[in-house]
Amino acid sequence: MASHNSEIIGRSFGDRVLFGLVILLALVMAGPVLYVIALSLKDNKELMVDPHSVFHMPYTIKNYIDTIGTSNVFSWVFNSIIVAGGLTVFTLILSSLAGYGFARLNFPGRAVLFVIVLLGLAVPEQAVLIARHQIFSWLGLHNSYPGLILPGLSSAFGVFLMTQYFRAIPKELDEAAILDNASRFRVFWKVLLPLTVPAQATLGIFTFLGAWNDYFWPLISATKKEMFTLTVGIASTQMNFAQSQGIGFLMAQAVFAGAPILIIYLFFQKYIVTAVSGAAVR
Amino acid sequence: MTASIDINKVTKRFGSLTVLDELSLSIPANEFVVFLGPSGCGKSTLLRMIAGLESVDSGEILINGERIDDQPPGQRGVAMVFQSYALYPHMTVRDNMAFGLKNISVDRAVIEARIAEAARMLEIGHLLDRKPGQLSGGQRQRVAIGRAVVKEPKAFLFDEPLSNLDAALRTRTRIELAQLHQRLKSTMIFVTHDQIEAMTLADRIVVMNNRKIEQIGAPMEIYNRPASRFVAGFVGAPAMNFLPVTIRENAGFVAATTGAGLELTTAIPTSGLPDGPFELGIRSEHVRITPPTANAAEGVVDVLERLGERTLVYVRLGDGQQIVGSDSGDSRVAVGDRVGLAFEGAKAHLFDASGRAWHGGEAGHG
Amino acid sequence: MAEPRTAGTATARSRRKSVDIYAPQWRNFLFVAPYLTIFATLLVFPLFWGIWLSFHKADTFSSGRFVGLDNYFRLFRDPIFMQSIWNTFYFVFLTVPALALIGLFLALCLNRRTRSAAVLRALFFSSSVLSVTIVTLIWRIVFIPDLGLLSMVYGLFGAQAPAFLADPHLAMIGIAIATVWWCIGLPMMLFLSALQQIPQDIYEAAALDNANRWQTLWSITLPSIKRTFILVIIIQIVLQFQLFGQAWLMTRGGPNNLTKPIVLYIYNTAFQRWDIGLGAAASEILFLLILIAAMAQYLVTRRKADA
Repeated sequence: MASHNSEIIGRSFGDRVLFGLVILLALVMAGPVLYVIALSLKDNKELMVDPHSVFHMPYTIKNYIDTIGTSNVFSWVFNSIIVAGGLTVFTLILSSLAGYGFARLNFPGRAVLFVIVLLGLAVPEQAVLIARHQIFSWLGLHNSYPGLILPGLSSAFGVFLMTQYFRAIPKELDEAAILDNASRFRVFWKVLLPLTVPAQATLGIFTFLGAWNDYFWPLISATKKEMFTLTVGIASTQMNFAQSQGIGFLMAQAVFAGAPILIIYLFFQKYIVTAVSGAAVR
Repeated sequence: MTASIDINKVTKRFGSLTVLDELSLSIPANEFVVFLGPSGCGKSTLLRMIAGLESVDSGEILINGERIDDQPPGQRGVAMVFQSYALYPHMTVRDNMAFGLKNISVDRAVIEARIAEAARMLEIGHLLDRKPGQLSGGQRQRVAIGRAVVKEPKAFLFDEPLSNLDAALRTRTRIELAQLHQRLKSTMIFVTHDQIEAMTLADRIVVMNNRKIEQIGAPMEIYNRPASRFVAGFVGAPAMNFLPVTIRENAGFVAATTGAGLELTTAIPTSGLPDGPFELGIRSEHVRITPPTANAAEGVVDVLERLGERTLVYVRLGDGQQIVGSDSGDSRVAVGDRVGLAFEGAKAHLFDASGRAWHGGEAGHG
Repeated sequence: MAEPRTAGTATARSRRKSVDIYAPQWRNFLFVAPYLTIFATLLVFPLFWGIWLSFHKADTFSSGRFVGLDNYFRLFRDPIFMQSIWNTFYFVFLTVPALALIGLFLALCLNRRTRSAAVLRALFFSSSVLSVTIVTLIWRIVFIPDLGLLSMVYGLFGAQAPAFLADPHLAMIGIAIATVWWCIGLPMMLFLSALQQIPQDIYEAAALDNANRWQTLWSITLPSIKRTFILVIIIQIVLQFQLFGQAWLMTRGGPNNLTKPIVLYIYNTAFQRWDIGLGAAASEILFLLILIAAMAQYLVTRRKADA
């Protein structure tokens, strides 16, 4: 935007210092990732002999072949897709229905219920984790997909976001549809829901990222190796470098696990940034 | 299809605020009725009550003699055109028009035929596959009307549909609406605060103010014989001149004397008049500009508004009161000139303290 | 798909009521019922059940024996818990100001419409989409002696890198560095969107008043984003208070419990030692601390709405 703002970095000596600082910070951001990628491309024996060999040829993709061939990483990715995808789909459904209900329909106790839901925004996960864990033990839901998906569905954020969004749509659209003989559900499904696509995208991205990267709940709920999500699975193999199959192999696994989300980020960067920062200020 | 609409002693409250108070109105089939009034007078609320978008607190609404206020909006057989048009933004023009028919499972072929017919009538055939966002304001307006037309309703309800159009388009659409009414022969209710729209479109105008109906009548009846001071002031541009007067009898008719001492003989019979105070009302076209004379009706020109076919002259009288008179289109009068005013007393109206109007017998033929 | 005639059934033969499409109706409740069911069973109930558990000597399946406030007394007699509270505050103190200041600095420098600024913005936000597992892995590799990137950099200058994660004085700082690296994207983006909401004409007016760049920065830009600054601080306090993954994965809370935050204490207590009641009590204390910050956030955002 601003032509004036943009001049904060210009041609003077001070500006060059600022520019240098930004570049330095950029190196700090990128450096560790590039280093990890370089390590993942090194043969373990060569690294053992000379750690500095990471900076030069020869590089190999052997570690990646080993990763694909031997590790559980595929089943973890699969679990993460089921959990994050399922949570996203169900969050969108529940939040849209409830958002429409709170924004547009009247029912006994609406105002009080909405305030209670808003108060739910202030409850951190840790305050309910232990009780939830016990409840899921009673229900036998640990080490299952429902067990991993359900807790995230209770988040009030989606309902809040969708309610706000529905409220911003002119009420005349509902009224026109009602005059057109549409039922309440048809008004929701055919008329209003298609208009909430931007909000669905924001909420979907935010929910998916959150679920994909969630660590605590899968850690305590998915205790069997075959039910690990990617975050828990990777963490389980990486705890002890010394006992592992070699640094290069571990790094290949990490790159393999981190790359999909980074690639998605590169493609949908604009939406993701809007979604995440938009979600934070609400 | 067409239908008569009866509104019986309808009351509407928003919380403790009463917006319509025991209001009754009969609209015969085929009539084009305009609800006219200032914003907040309850005219849109009344329209929305007929549509079923607002509840009726007491009283009832009938269409063709059948009570409908206990029916859901969609089953009342009315179609509404909203001020904002309320077109479904993600649907094409065709789907916008088809939506209401699909909802009541009208046969596909029938839907297509009705859309084609409406599109031809409204000249929107080439827009059918576009979305509302790609249309101009005037085109959206036509689509909104088309969406109502395809439903073949018993009555059309228009909620200030022209207010989002620019002046030229508004005039054109007004004429088209009048033609549409002639062609469809359907009952139409049109809500507006614009008295020109009301005058030009209506078979009958319902002037509303402050929770109740002030007057119901044909446009020229409203114009010539306003029932109250409110109607007299609200209908007509420029607004009617009002002068506080004292009255006396002159051969059975009212003779009114203005604050500046000018006496006007009117055609208003004195019989039945309550006690004062009174105000005299006279429209600008009945106040002609003359060369200055010695009598009391003269003043200084404040402002000139040249309308082309005539000139409105705002004259400041000796007692400080401003009067709007009219002169020919090529009037030579200039601001600051001293001019005389010739009142056509026979066209004057008298308003008593309660705001009720009294007219001369011939005023209606003016 | 027509509206059912509700009014018809409401009152029998007498005068039927007029239809009110905005009247409260139980069937409308069906739209919110699915969410509210989950909300009630997985948020509201656990919230109160957690409080209940904190007053009991509970195990995995049952709430066990009622012990009153005993769990809370045990917590405050437990030096490791007190240490974890101190650790958490220390971590918040290390990360939050750094995140706010670096985020603001980057936003000010990158608030431009050039391609390089866009690329740099994308770069600084990219770490935010990674999971804590990957982030900690990356930084353990950076900090690891001999093979680590840090050792390599120190080696360039012929120096010996400190063993960040093993050193009692440096371990928490190491975790804080990884956290700032991970979380810097959000504050930067929040500042950027605040900067873009400053009306351009203010800058034009300032230019007409011959304000130089630093005067403009101090007297226009910074005051305009004051509320965002407070908001960023509070959001980050709430987030960083919940530190768990980084500490668990990088140091396991060591050395000597010096990097063990409250959440890790809860994890150790409730899910490793299965002392559910004590863990629940610790959760309630964390909840209380976060609630204070959340309330501050509510007050700040509300004042924004009023203004």
